[in-house]
Amino acid sequence: MTSTEIVEPSSAPPRRRVSLLAVLDKFFFIFAGVAAVWLAWLLLNESLAIGWWGIPLFIVFWGMLAYLALPRLHRVLTAIYVPDYFIGRTRTSDGLLGDPINLGLHGSEEQLTTAMTRAGWTRADPVTLSTSWRIVTSTITRKSYDEAPVSPLFLFGRMQNFAYQMEVEGNPAKRHHVRFWRTPDGWLLPGGERVDWLAAGTFDRAVGFSLFTMQITHKIEANIDIERDFIVSSVMDADLAVRLRVLEDFSTGYHSRNGGGDTIHTDGDLPILDLRAVSLDGDENTPAPVSAGGGAPFPVDSAPEVSHDEH
Amino acid sequence: MTSTEPMQPAPRTSGAPGAPGAPGTENLKRASFESLTSLTGVERDDLAAPRRRPATTTLGALFVMVRAIFGLLWLLLLALVWDAEVAPALAIDGDVSHLTLIAIIVVLGLADLALFWLGALIWRGSNFARVIVMIGLTLSILTAASSYFTLGEKITMESTLFTLTLDILVLLALSSSDARNWSRFRGAERRERAAQSRG
Repeated sequence: MTSTEIVEPSSAPPRRRVSLLAVLDKFFFIFAGVAAVWLAWLLLNESLAIGWWGIPLFIVFWGMLAYLALPRLHRVLTAIYVPDYFIGRTRTSDGLLGDPINLGLHGSEEQLTTAMTRAGWTRADPVTLSTSWRIVTSTITRKSYDEAPVSPLFLFGRMQNFAYQMEVEGNPAKRHHVRFWRTPDGWLLPGGERVDWLAAGTFDRAVGFSLFTMQITHKIEANIDIERDFIVSSVMDADLAVRLRVLEDFSTGYHSRNGGGDTIHTDGDLPILDLRAVSLDGDENTPAPVSAGGGAPFPVDSAPEVSHDEH
Repeated sequence: MTSTEPMQPAPRTSGAPGAPGAPGTENLKRASFESLTSLTGVERDDLAAPRRRPATTTLGALFVMVRAIFGLLWLLLLALVWDAEVAPALAIDGDVSHLTLIAIIVVLGLADLALFWLGALIWRGSNFARVIVMIGLTLSILTAASSYFTLGEKITMESTLFTLTLDILVLLALSSSDARNWSRFRGAERRERAAQSRG
């Protein structure tokens, strides 16, 4: 993890140190999971033994099982049996298969954020303690929270770089959202196509209880192609410089489930939006202003190959 | 999880010719099978640069410190009721009684202060403190488990269920990958800074 020096092709293969700390970490990771399952069992027993007071304790048991013990077990087990290379699916933080990748993009990060903002999408806040707290308070006070964080999904072993969403008026349970991952440099899609970004867009249609993970989650619309086409058309309508290409039957139509156990249908097409002609200035009619980062008040947390500031 | 060895010699493998219509991709070509470690060189910023303290570290460190404070409060209570209740029950009095109390307060008090210090170190991102605390928690959980499974000791709300729950929650938090990545990243950062200041 801490490889700071770049290994020359001619030099000796990098040393493989089996660090004691790494082994200990792995042990604690698994041991904590086993202990959590035992604790859930103890809580269940106790909740059944102490009468009416067992009801709140049963809720504690459920929380322990659904949010701590099972996710940790899933993490350990899926690390063994879920492939970690690209199969067109994201993974949840528990390692389960999550929303499918259904969009590819070309362009810089600034062009992508500009195009999404122009199309009326709102960037989601990162998940932190304060934004999580704001979700709780906005739910209680029934205020809308346009920038509500989305849950992390993983591709290439890392969380989405950022996500965009669009609220459905008057209904906090429903929302459009799409997560973006920058692809590793030089990485090609199966079939040999190069894209700069991959995205997974789904439509949250309700909040509900997932029998699959026993957690309360957003239920997604099963036909994910509707959301995919909505994203594509919203971006294209907002900026005429955007070009579209479709990789037909990229993943042959499949029916599956996402990480929350929701059904997914798709025709398997992968649209690829080309944003390389998107201008970064606020208005397309005016000539390019001096500031290169116009229209993107977002912190640039992972700089791609920057070539746009040489106007 | 299992394979950490690189699966391809170098990113620039020239296998099949690049996709038609995608000029210049040949020398960028990269296998779709890649272990995470071979990606870390390129994606280091994304993978191992958690800039904010993750919630798991925050909660874990806070629980450790709160536990230390509760330990100190417990000692205070013990000192208050010592002469009236504990000493008679132990059938000791006078100097022996007070020396025993002082010994208990010194030993357990130092342990609680050390625990508080470890919690503060975890807060600041020390991987060493995180591992030490996890070892302690594991021993504590194993002790409870062995008396539960072998001696049939009951673990209920009245007895140790609450402390056991806290122990396991803190262990879950501190062993999570967020907490691990962050403290390791902080450690690497410190080492880099130390190396820079040396030369």
